[in-house]
Amino acid sequence: MKHSSNKQTRTVNWPVTILLIIGCLTIFFPLYMAVIIAFKQPSEMTNDIAGALAFPAKWSLDNFAEAMRVTDFWHSLGNSLLITLITVLLAVVIHSLAGYAIGRSMKGSKFYNFAYLYIVSGMFVPFAILMMPLVKETAILGIDNRVGVILLYTVFFMPMNVMLYKGYLTNIPIALEEAARVDGATTWKTYWSIVFPIMKPMHATVAVLTAMSTWNDVMTPLVIMSGKGGTTLPLAQLNFQTQFGTNYNLAFASYLLALLPILLFYIVCQKQILNGVVNGAVK
Amino acid sequence: MNRHMKTAAGLGSFCALGLAAVAVLTTGCGSSKTSDGKTVVELVHYKPEAVKAFEALEEKFNATHDDIELVIDSPNDAMTILKTRFIREDYPDIIGIGGDINYSNFLDSDMLMDISDYEGLSEIKESYLRTDKELEFVPMDGVYAVPYMANAAGVLYNRDIFEEHGWSIPTTLDEFYQLCEEIQDAGIQPLYFGFKDTWTTLAPWNAICVDLAPSDICSQVNNGSATFAEAYRPVAEVTKSLLQYAEPDPVAYSYNDACTAFARGESAMYVIGSYAVPQIKSVNPDINIDSFVFPASNNPEENVLNSGNDLQWSVLASCKNKEAVYEVLDFLYEDENIQTYLDDQNAVPCKKGDFELPSMLDGMKEYIEQDKMADYQDHHYPSEMAVDAMIQTFLMDESEDALDTFLTRFDTEWARYNRDLIAKVQKFYKDHPEKLTEGGEES
Amino acid sequence: MKTSKGVNDRKRTFLLITIPVLVLFFVFNTLPLIQGFIYSFTNFKGYGSYDWVGLRNYQDLFTDARVGKSYLFTFKYALVCTILTNVISLILALGLNSKIKGKSALRGIYFIPNVLGGLVVGYIFSFFFTYILPAVGQSLGIEALSSSWLSSTSKAWLAIVVVGCWQSIAMNTIIYISGLQTVPEDVYEAGSIDGVSGWKKFWSLTFPLIIPFFSINMVLCMKNFLMVFDQIMAMTKGGPSQSTESISFLIYNNGMSGGQFGFQSANAVLFFVVIVAISVFQLTVTGKKEEQL
Repeated sequence: MKHSSNKQTRTVNWPVTILLIIGCLTIFFPLYMAVIIAFKQPSEMTNDIAGALAFPAKWSLDNFAEAMRVTDFWHSLGNSLLITLITVLLAVVIHSLAGYAIGRSMKGSKFYNFAYLYIVSGMFVPFAILMMPLVKETAILGIDNRVGVILLYTVFFMPMNVMLYKGYLTNIPIALEEAARVDGATTWKTYWSIVFPIMKPMHATVAVLTAMSTWNDVMTPLVIMSGKGGTTLPLAQLNFQTQFGTNYNLAFASYLLALLPILLFYIVCQKQILNGVVNGAVK
Repeated sequence: MNRHMKTAAGLGSFCALGLAAVAVLTTGCGSSKTSDGKTVVELVHYKPEAVKAFEALEEKFNATHDDIELVIDSPNDAMTILKTRFIREDYPDIIGIGGDINYSNFLDSDMLMDISDYEGLSEIKESYLRTDKELEFVPMDGVYAVPYMANAAGVLYNRDIFEEHGWSIPTTLDEFYQLCEEIQDAGIQPLYFGFKDTWTTLAPWNAICVDLAPSDICSQVNNGSATFAEAYRPVAEVTKSLLQYAEPDPVAYSYNDACTAFARGESAMYVIGSYAVPQIKSVNPDINIDSFVFPASNNPEENVLNSGNDLQWSVLASCKNKEAVYEVLDFLYEDENIQTYLDDQNAVPCKKGDFELPSMLDGMKEYIEQDKMADYQDHHYPSEMAVDAMIQTFLMDESEDALDTFLTRFDTEWARYNRDLIAKVQKFYKDHPEKLTEGGEES
Repeated sequence: MKTSKGVNDRKRTFLLITIPVLVLFFVFNTLPLIQGFIYSFTNFKGYGSYDWVGLRNYQDLFTDARVGKSYLFTFKYALVCTILTNVISLILALGLNSKIKGKSALRGIYFIPNVLGGLVVGYIFSFFFTYILPAVGQSLGIEALSSSWLSSTSKAWLAIVVVGCWQSIAMNTIIYISGLQTVPEDVYEAGSIDGVSGWKKFWSLTFPLIIPFFSINMVLCMKNFLMVFDQIMAMTKGGPSQSTESISFLIYNNGMSGGQFGFQSANAVLFFVVIVAISVFQLTVTGKKEEQL
């Protein structure tokens, strides 16, 4: 970045900036609707367009407070954060190791080629078929709780993440590792001191994708914990939908609240994606 | 360095865990439930919307009973939770579910206990007990559920609009059509449907079925003595005839849209169940709603109220504390406690006696009091057959032979989705021919 | 150069990493899958007792019109979505990676669709397709837009395509952006000295370098779109007239909520085999291309 800025003759690319801002409308419009609905009372809900797009009668945070009360917000948030953060941590550590070990060994090795395809193919197993057997398995192992949920996530996201890490490593020259090996460093040490830091942008990507899927997931905690143990935010949000009625106003308020932490996490991570150190330095 | 060690240890333990999993997977284990001398009775029900009423009841019960501790669980998505708990053989003592196909399936899987010796049964209205009998795939000895609350379906109408125009309640199908014409002439939309949510097609369908089709038609088909093509022809005709009085393109609108439209006075009537009232009132708390029984027949005597068990208690076969469970049931059926539930939820109690019914059921009161009721037929349909989607398809089908296509498909798909059940039922009647005549007389 | 000691250490370390990971994966993915496979020979409802039915479920799969329709729908949907999503997210990633103002804010905004819950997306897009789009269509006199897409058996799937793409573009964009980070600046510098610009620069310089990410995105798109479920639950629940029932929708709805667990397990097994066949093919093709470059 440093050396590119003084060499660059281009300044801000305004046409692209403007196009991107216009493109944002496709997101702002639904978001606008979500926000005004979150502020409205059920009695303000209507089917006519003008009414649906109008501002709420008053901007009060009552819905948000009520949504927080109904979902036992801080408690559920804590659980969701705990599960998501541990899952992300495990994903970054285990999946990057696996992606590295498999990705670097695939050339000419039938075993590692098989291992790679075996893991990646796991992506296409519908959760519905695994669900019942997993419920039984986790119950027998005594991990029908948060531990089990985290462990399952570590397995569920493995195919995608291993694929991502392996793909990223394709573009990273092997020369650095070999230099370290010549210097007498063990593979394990080389990995942590050289390879792991180089993969920073991919760690951030994996962290975002894993966190996102974990954060929004309902089914796994629902069936594995079966209403016992901690409630996560998406589980608590089921409160707003009963068989014959949905309180959209509270639900939307709650979804907007749940959106914030993950958005924040993304913004932090995407800085890491940007500041990737690959440029030039590796060659 | 520390980080390396941790990872290595972590990986090692994963490995160990994995191996343990393989070893342990073939063995099972049970669990026992007792605490400081009290008998614990665990009740799981599927009405999270009634959590407040049940919390109050739980507290009251525990304050008045020293030997039993009642634990009431009101989880979201209770059916999924129950099924996963059954998978791991972690059974509660009492389950509160609806009288629908799930009940039939649980019963068929030998999961429920015969509670015919429960004394409270004599207090329950006959028609609701009969409803549960009809939900048995093959006639069983004994009683496996105690109905608690029912809901009713028919036509909800906007009382203010009706009074303003002086319209009266129809008792025959012709009167109903006439009423719709009048409403249309007055420039008001008579009916509003939310058929985008396919399940709502079952609301008119069920309400018409109870008047025009035998209540045990599904059992009759299963034992080979009837076809849907014949029994459902008039039902399908009347259902489709309603479209001319509905908003254009009803498949575009959802249940929620229809509730909102009715609440906003955009239609005078709404063919749906009493369960929709809270959603309607959330949009317009001041709306004055009343209801009437859907008059699908031109003979007023044939018209009955569509009402089914919305919440009923079953005891799991694995339960070891029958007496404690009966004590809990006795408590739940005390008039005062039923009223606690009624004050919180719109419902019709299944217990005999005088209870204060919600005002929007005024038009159905007579039928409730006379016990002139029949169950929702979709309680017999397997959910995977997607009858609601089939009805939606039929309603959208504008071709000439739409009706025949639909009815033929109904019979074929029924045979396909209920294959094992039909085989079981026919085998049963082959072994017990005397039961067949008994079943036939009941209808 | 390569000492044999170093090579052995490398091999041993890789094996020590790979084996536990494979065991973990086996226990929580393959083992339950095998169990599901066993259930596919039964009429198991998901609980209670069951009977063995041999190959009946598999025979039924090939005669069940609903299953056949769901495969057609799913593959049509996945194909259209995969193309649209990849094209749009690649453009978006290039845009977001170029010298623009408010980069962080813009990246944050484009990420939002992926984290909005299904209930919110379902409500808002249903409202859009039921009320807003027909109103716009009528006032502009455009026939195709003047009635709700969601009530039309020929157009409802397009509505799901719109929502599906809208939600998944964020994820694919993130992957493309991280892929673009591996493109060294000096590639561009070399290119600009040679006077290469615009499209040509992209096709000849950038794209070859991000082909691994392109193939990752293709596989992820296939996974997400072939297994489409959330968007269908949010938008149409399989309707109208069962025209938008996806394979996952049937597997989940009829297997889990309904009583067809055994039959839908067979469906899941078939589906799994079909996708694995496709992706092995895809991986070998793109893998060869990667090696060529």
